[in-house]
Amino acid sequence: MEKLIIDGIETEPDPSKTVLEVAQELGIHIPTLCYHRSLSPYGACRICTVEIIWRGRSRLRTACTYPAWEGEVKTNSEPVRGARKLLLELMLAEAPASVEIQELAREYGVEQSRFKVGDEKKDNRCIQCGLCVRMCEDVMGVSALGHKNRGYRRSVTTPFDRESDVCTTCGACEFICPTGAITVKQITDRPVTRIASEFELGLKERPCIYVPFPQAVPNKPVIDRDHCMFFQNDACRICEAVCQPQAIDYKQEEKIVDEEVGAIVVATGYELFPLEQIGEYGSGRYKNVITGLQFERLLSASGPTAGEVRRPSDWAIPKEVVFVSCVGSREPELYKPYCSKICCMYTLKHAMLYKHRVPDGQPYVFYIDVRAGGKGYEEFYQRGIEEDGVLYLRGKVSKIFEEDGKVVVWGVDTLTGKKVEIAADMAVLASAIVPSEDAKELANKLKMAIDEHGFMTEAHPKLRPVESLTFAVYLAGCAQAPKDIPEAVAQASGAASKVVALFSEEELHHEPTIATVDEDLCSGCGVCVSVCPYDAREHDPEKHVAKVNEVLCEGCGSCIAACPSSACQLVNFKDCQIFEMLKAAMSEKGS
Amino acid sequence: MKVLRNPQSLENLREKLVSARDPSQPLIILSSGTCGRANRSDEVAQVFREELSKRTVNGGIGLRITGCLGFCEREPIVVVHPQKIFYPSVKPDDVEEIISETVVKGNVIDRLLYVDPASGEKFRYEHEIPFYKKQQPLIFGDNIRLDPKSIEDYIAVGGYGALAKVLSGMDPEEIIDIVKRSGLRGRGGGGFPTGVKWESCRKAEGEQRYVLCNADEGDPGAYMDRSVLEGNPHSVLEGMIIGAYAIGADEGYIYVREEYPLAREHFNIALKQAREYGILGENIFGSGFGFDVKVSRGGGAFVCGESTALMTSIEGKVGEPRAKHVHTVEKGLWEKPSNLNNVETWANVPLIINKGWEWYSKIGTERSKGTKIFSLVGKVNNTGLIEVPMGITLREVIYDIGGGIRGRKRFKAVQTGGPSGGVIPESLLDLPVDFERLTEAGSMMGSGGMIVMDEDNCMVDIAKYFVNFLRDESCGKCTPCREGLIQMYEILDDITEGRGKKGDIEQLEDLAWVMSNTSLCALGTTAANPVLSTIKYFGDEYRVHIEEKRCPAHVCKALVQYHIDEEKCTGCAVCLKQCPVSAIAGVPKEVHRIDASTCIKCGICYDVCKFDAVVVE
Repeated sequence: MEKLIIDGIETEPDPSKTVLEVAQELGIHIPTLCYHRSLSPYGACRICTVEIIWRGRSRLRTACTYPAWEGEVKTNSEPVRGARKLLLELMLAEAPASVEIQELAREYGVEQSRFKVGDEKKDNRCIQCGLCVRMCEDVMGVSALGHKNRGYRRSVTTPFDRESDVCTTCGACEFICPTGAITVKQITDRPVTRIASEFELGLKERPCIYVPFPQAVPNKPVIDRDHCMFFQNDACRICEAVCQPQAIDYKQEEKIVDEEVGAIVVATGYELFPLEQIGEYGSGRYKNVITGLQFERLLSASGPTAGEVRRPSDWAIPKEVVFVSCVGSREPELYKPYCSKICCMYTLKHAMLYKHRVPDGQPYVFYIDVRAGGKGYEEFYQRGIEEDGVLYLRGKVSKIFEEDGKVVVWGVDTLTGKKVEIAADMAVLASAIVPSEDAKELANKLKMAIDEHGFMTEAHPKLRPVESLTFAVYLAGCAQAPKDIPEAVAQASGAASKVVALFSEEELHHEPTIATVDEDLCSGCGVCVSVCPYDAREHDPEKHVAKVNEVLCEGCGSCIAACPSSACQLVNFKDCQIFEMLKAAMSEKGS
Repeated sequence: MKVLRNPQSLENLREKLVSARDPSQPLIILSSGTCGRANRSDEVAQVFREELSKRTVNGGIGLRITGCLGFCEREPIVVVHPQKIFYPSVKPDDVEEIISETVVKGNVIDRLLYVDPASGEKFRYEHEIPFYKKQQPLIFGDNIRLDPKSIEDYIAVGGYGALAKVLSGMDPEEIIDIVKRSGLRGRGGGGFPTGVKWESCRKAEGEQRYVLCNADEGDPGAYMDRSVLEGNPHSVLEGMIIGAYAIGADEGYIYVREEYPLAREHFNIALKQAREYGILGENIFGSGFGFDVKVSRGGGAFVCGESTALMTSIEGKVGEPRAKHVHTVEKGLWEKPSNLNNVETWANVPLIINKGWEWYSKIGTERSKGTKIFSLVGKVNNTGLIEVPMGITLREVIYDIGGGIRGRKRFKAVQTGGPSGGVIPESLLDLPVDFERLTEAGSMMGSGGMIVMDEDNCMVDIAKYFVNFLRDESCGKCTPCREGLIQMYEILDDITEGRGKKGDIEQLEDLAWVMSNTSLCALGTTAANPVLSTIKYFGDEYRVHIEEKRCPAHVCKALVQYHIDEEKCTGCAVCLKQCPVSAIAGVPKEVHRIDASTCIKCGICYDVCKFDAVVVE
């Protein structure tokens, strides 16, 4: 059988594929405009024209439509380049405003088209490739777009040229347009559903299929079922079409993984106290009033602004930024009474980094007092004030509001006793640290104690700071209380060591103080079974009495208090023993 | 029941129909196709009916309303049998006299006879008239012999005999072989061998096959398919049924443009009648073979004559072509093997079956067999539809059949093949008309349009006309066709408006190259032909437009000036009165003057001046 030779590379002919597909597999680049893997070949733009030589005849054909039959293909020969050059000249006259076409034309040595550009075409970017129309109809099954007229009057439009009520605002047209010619706004008045990136804390949009964050483990995309057009409308499937290794599997389901483990380290982290609940600072309504964590994303090289400090409303560089400490922290009346511990230092860091990125900008920090209690922290604080000129204002901020595109901050300088008003470009709030939303649920499952704020309680505040009251469950990081990174690392290391110590022993040691049942007294009422928080109690159906699982029992005493017939007793702390002890103590005292 | 259960019953019916007709009885034939109706043939027919109904006592006078008889310029035509006296351009007022004088008394009405404009000679009979003399009307010939609304008329002239022959035991392969040997080639423009196409379709993989008829004739000035469908719809249908049997299709479509209501009406009647006689439907002539045809109406887009666009349109989608590296005979309508032929091609099929491939292949040239219907229009004396054997020279067509150029003007060029064709200059007048010769000359056969041009036609303007037509009729899907035509038009417009510049011709040639090499369908790949062929044969005319800012044919208004020859002007004031913008000043009996700044160059003064005093330069 004859071979298919593309640019000198021999391969097997495969008429089920097109020349373009085979060339792409071979790593040969052929420019395309009206082609997309998720759509059937259309052959409108003709830019993928290649030279087909078969039986001694040379002809120009479009690679996107031509089957990969045997023969020779030249993708970059003289006539091919000549044809593409002329096509690009035509496109440049048709869509002079399209940057993409200008760039492609430049690759073929065309800076300026020889052909006339009509006045009505001056701002045009559309090359009538029909991708948007086909995408809408063939892939999304919607038909909110179509071609109207023919010949030189052909254009893309909505049904009857009216604002489209069939458009689902999916944005596929905008996404697929190769020349930036179409936006959803041109099609419908209805707002476009933009999906805010969770990782970027709403500062950036993300598609329905996305890698959750840079360096995610595993570094693989996930599909957002709530927004995915396939799961919602049984349409689209573009990701499936474009994924060459065919890794997209719409049938994947979430799985519950069963693992048997010997110990658990609870490190559920923290969340920020929601700005929405802080009315005096705008309840989260103002785009340019953000949290410290959002500011952290703005500083990140992989963040929404690639590390440039820009404010979210218009992405302008802010010249004055107000940082506010203790937002929601140390406010026993309204919010949280505790100190969030990390805000002083990160606010300072943010103010300094802002100054480094925007040298002519001015950072202000409102504070109650600066808690720089860590190694090198105080020196860092001094450097921020002295070298970087961060302006510290001691006092609380009473109100933040927007006016004329500015963020106005009302505060008081308690050192001078004067009211302060700053019309800044942006405000960054150091919102209080609160436990993760689902930490409480987890704590219940693990039979752990939590404090009034929802932080997990350690077994002993001084002597057992990394252990919980539950055997073999340990704590690390902000699950237990707000703390900064060195502290969290130290605690986590301690917890890990505890696990290692636990696992290194031949036998498990357990506190001997556990419950027992006096079977003669037990009526088998089952109250103890229902009150035991550690599932250490069960009913013996033969003897009709309660039993104690001695390994699970933590000796908490709940059952003893609940037992109506005093059949439950704590080993070594039986009532009679307590009484004897009391008696002895009293008699000693009395003697 | 009318149903014909076997081939013999068709023959019986034919014999019965023929014996019931007496050729010696008077019969009035009136042509009334669309062209006839445009000249009030409907009214003429109505008057004939009224007049004849008054004479029922005499009885025996037949009236047959036929389709177009080809001589469109002289429609409606009346032929009175049995003498076969030929009256062209009959008016309603002439009817009474025709009946009383010619039909009843057998007298010839001299004033109604045809006068040849070239020689001034009067002719009594059709076959004597120069326009008809050199024609060989194989397809068209039956138009005069039948009423298109009557299947009985068609059967009486031997209609459906070919189908009966085929279904009396011929193998499909045998039929394909006959069609292949006949040398019949597609009449739609491409000239692809019909038998080869049928064979590929028959051999293509798939259960369902379609047989399609392309009646989306869109070339400006071409209407032969319309006239065949209007005048003899059953011949097309018979061809399609034979084709379906040979290919193995049981379903067919005819795609008729919306602008052809009469053709559609006649074809629909033909379908209904054929079904009544069991010629369409299941078990045709008891052969076990079944077939039926549906009519699909086109919106009149020129591009829908392109095979893939036509099929997409039948499918109910926007009529746009698609790539056909895999041919439509393998993947056509609904991705099924589909055989598409033009109206005229189908009409040839019964002929070939009846008379044999040997007979057919003797007509025409080595590679182009049979006859071809052309619509001969433009600056010739006799315009109309002509059916001539392949290989006839352009000179014979234009001078012998067309009667030469109108007025005392000089022949300049003939445009063939419609918008995708090209112009052929005087030097090639002896070119034999066949597929190859026309293509070699830079034009093409196309569907058969033939537009004759004289010295008053500007070739740049002609190119601009066709480019403008195509610019509008291109579907607009692919870049080279859509944008190439836009730019070609701009350049041609510049040239005709006096803004032509050096390099324009080269730009036109560049555009032509990219259009013909990279366009998606044949509309685009051939769209540059009018430009290329005019540059090839009339390049000087382009150069004069560009360099000297002059239009030698005085067509491009921006490049001409009207003024009055003082010597010839008699001061009659006719031009002065007629000028719509009062650009002519003067008093009676004194020389008039044209104010160039107000003159809109409409040419009225030139036309009305009896003394040739208005000069165009």
